[in-house]
Amino acid sequence: MGATTGLIDRRTFIKMAGAAWVATLGARGAFALERADAVFASAFMAPDGSFGVATLTEAGEIVERTALPARAHGMAYSAASKRTVAFARRPGTYAMILAADGSAEPIVIAAADGRHFYGHGCFSADGRLLYATENDFAANRGMIGIYDGTSAFARVGEFPTYGIGPHDMTLSADGRMLAIANGGIETHPDFGRTKLNLDHMEPSLTLVDTETGALIQKHALPAELSRLSTRHVDIGPKGEIWFACQYEGARDGLPPLVGHFSHGADLAFVPLPESTTEALANYVGAIAVNRAEGLIGLTSPRGGVAVTLDARSGAVLREQRVTDAAGVAAARPGFAVSSYGGRFKDHESRVAWDQHIVRLSRS
Amino acid sequence: MSYMPSLALGLCLATIALPAFAQEGSALSPRVVNEAAVPQVMAKAVDDFIIPGYRNLSNKTAALATATAALCQAPSPASQDKAKAAFSDLVQAWSTIEIIRLGPALAQNRFERFLFYPDRKSTGLKQVQAILAKSNETATSAATLKGKSVAAQGLGALEYVLYGNGSETLVGKTGDFRCRYGVAISQNLDSIANEFLAEWQKPDGIQAAWKNPGPGNPEFRDSKEAATELLGIFVHGVEMVKDQRLKPFYAGTVDGVEDKGHPKSAIYWRSENTMPSIAANFAGLKTLFDVADMQSLLPEDSRSVAGSADFVFKSVIGISQNIDGPIADAIADDKSRGKLDFLTLNTVDLLGRLNKDFGGAIGLGAGFSFADGD
Repeated sequence: MGATTGLIDRRTFIKMAGAAWVATLGARGAFALERADAVFASAFMAPDGSFGVATLTEAGEIVERTALPARAHGMAYSAASKRTVAFARRPGTYAMILAADGSAEPIVIAAADGRHFYGHGCFSADGRLLYATENDFAANRGMIGIYDGTSAFARVGEFPTYGIGPHDMTLSADGRMLAIANGGIETHPDFGRTKLNLDHMEPSLTLVDTETGALIQKHALPAELSRLSTRHVDIGPKGEIWFACQYEGARDGLPPLVGHFSHGADLAFVPLPESTTEALANYVGAIAVNRAEGLIGLTSPRGGVAVTLDARSGAVLREQRVTDAAGVAAARPGFAVSSYGGRFKDHESRVAWDQHIVRLSRS
Repeated sequence: MSYMPSLALGLCLATIALPAFAQEGSALSPRVVNEAAVPQVMAKAVDDFIIPGYRNLSNKTAALATATAALCQAPSPASQDKAKAAFSDLVQAWSTIEIIRLGPALAQNRFERFLFYPDRKSTGLKQVQAILAKSNETATSAATLKGKSVAAQGLGALEYVLYGNGSETLVGKTGDFRCRYGVAISQNLDSIANEFLAEWQKPDGIQAAWKNPGPGNPEFRDSKEAATELLGIFVHGVEMVKDQRLKPFYAGTVDGVEDKGHPKSAIYWRSENTMPSIAANFAGLKTLFDVADMQSLLPEDSRSVAGSADFVFKSVIGISQNIDGPIADAIADDKSRGKLDFLTLNTVDLLGRLNKDFGGAIGLGAGFSFADGD
């Protein structure tokens, strides 16, 4: 399996993670754990510079935390298999799968030779397969790594993403397609996080068949938007795919930053007011959909703002100043927003929350 | 060199004796950028580093264009040496100012046209070789060269023309096409350098935006955004040296195992400008750090962060300047490899001081790199 290669010896890691977990779980944490009311999970950096992942209550209080070997980025949750996964930040080489109810030991998988993770992925509808966005860096091809949850998450295959620099990926509402944001930026682990092709980016959004890996649909961004990196996706109330972008061009470019598309339908950008685009600082760090309430949530760490849109009209319903706004996830009501400074909803914790939050239930 | 032992001692002190700022308890304590100092720091960065840096670049590209034209008119070993010297002077000037990879450098692919690197697939090399093999005349005019691949019109291409296989023909008539291609590249570089300078000199252009952060500003809405951009130059600059300039040719000693090295992956290896270029990268960063008065951005009680960074800057500049000759020889030599290990170690240390310590001290709670989203 994947964990036999790469940076991490699984047993060593689990010992380390377990010790750290016990060390960090104070009386308050133990009390919270008994309540078993964890509804969010997010990666974080602790004050000592170590990394971990935490679960949180609806109010934003930490329920439990576990250590990670390196910085994580995106997360995914499967209601069917009750598993959560944290992906290493690009160009990362590990992903850690946790049983949401604590019934099994964490599983750490390492990226295959010639591949690294991009920091995002999702589970299949039945929760048995895990899909991860990966980089075939020798060929500069975006790939989807496929891992079998019934077999200790062994890597069982891969599909192309039909684009360069895939980032976020989510499962379509019917479970038959993977929706992928190919950010269009070439990177190579030899050169860290350096963006190697800003002069010829190729951002695109693709739909890929989960059964066959065939390309179902591809939307390459037009030439005038070639510096608009399509990075994050989520599924809207009607099954449409919402996407959010980060602009690699001039600060006063004011490009469209958010849009949606569907199977068989073209891309539609949401015409945000200029003031909102400016507030987002040409950079949406995370997007989430509150399907029950028909809302789209956006955060921008650069702009220090969280924005709520009406999913039907695209109208801006709310703009909230949040210094170093990090993750966003559907809450009841509205959205939970976190920050690098440790804020999660109205609760402050002594950690730096990373860029994404996952909700541990269907909303 | 004779001062190596004391320099080495200084470097040891740099890595072990300075207090780490971002310990538990301080990393997340509320810090703020000294907002009142920001406009002046930005103005100094523009007036005392960026514009003079691009003016120097423009002077060096003009001198190179003259030297390559003289080589074509009167080919000789002496005129070839002059062209090579002008190339090395330009590499120094570029390596000092290339850390400003923003604004005009991002527009019209100017950065990539000036320097296409890393060139992992040898795209540039293949294209330059093809131009030379076919004597493609459209490459001998700056006007038409400009429209060709970014990999065939910049410093990497010119280095191959002046130092690569066949460059010995430049001293005679058989090198005529090669020489004229070299002139076109030099003129192209001169045009780009002049564009950089003109863009930064426009009174109502990017310099106005840099000097007056605030609402309605096309670059920075507030002082924190401006200070973050400026700090980003340092963090990204040191990261670039670490990841793009050092690691490709020598990954260092990991767990007691020395990397055998990849000298032909080193930037400017043909002209032996690898280490001079790296030294100039660091020297450029340090000059900017000093002349912009970066330390004035820090709260009074955190100013030691700047002193620590400055100390490590001096160390990495000194050690980079202390590795001479072909980079392949340096990798093969125990003593030089030790210096490279030392340089790598100190580069990582410098990155931490700027990223975490400086970033934390100006209010980026979790450090600069943590806050770059993704």
